[in-house]
Amino acid sequence: MANESPRPQSGPPQREGGGPPRRGKRQYFRKKKVCRFCTEKVDYIDYKKADVLQSFVQERGKILPRRMTGTCSRHQRWLTVAIKRARNIALLPFASEL
Amino acid sequence: MEERLYDLIFICRPDTPEAEGDKILAALEHSAVEKGGKVEKVEKWGARRLAYRVHKHREGQYFFMQLRGTQGEMIKELERRLKVADPVIKYLTIRLDEEIKRQKKLVHRRERRAARRPRKSAPPAAPPAGENIAAN
Repeated sequence: MANESPRPQSGPPQREGGGPPRRGKRQYFRKKKVCRFCTEKVDYIDYKKADVLQSFVQERGKILPRRMTGTCSRHQRWLTVAIKRARNIALLPFASEL
Repeated sequence: MEERLYDLIFICRPDTPEAEGDKILAALEHSAVEKGGKVEKVEKWGARRLAYRVHKHREGQYFFMQLRGTQGEMIKELERRLKVADPVIKYLTIRLDEEIKRQKKLVHRRERRAARRPRKSAPPAAPPAGENIAAN
């Protein structure tokens, strides 16, 4: 997941980055991302489910920003808490060694 | 004082015999009950890989408990025991009741909204499609 998303991160200023240069106003269409927890109507993000949390974390253990995952602000807030808890009991790494 | 809900997780060394882990669990349960708590759930997750090294161990045996109690003293005592116990390499207590309360409020609100929605939002969603087809 972390490998697919970095493109949108390079925002409007440098559009040349992704894909071949085209003349139109829009170089690419950003697909509207929807919060995964909202679609599943999750009201509690469990810190014990490390496999779920894993997908919101970079390879080295950083929490992915909202703009990459499309999580809504409320769920992102819960998610960070859950990830930090999981880190504290060694379910997720603080920073994974290579 | 209202009742509180806690999650308690502790990790033992990978080489601890099962009896030892059970003994710690039993001791914890005993002192929890002694302090007026209730044990809701006990789970043994068994050996798992740790995400990072803890006391030079890469693996650990996970134990999970869910407790209910009214006194903070209970948690203090349990944590003291975990600190003293030799095979335990890591533990974590989390208070959950406030989050659950908040979550219930949200669910309640959503249900209320859902109950209201059929009248309000369903009709506007349907007609536009019908109109377009009619116009074309």
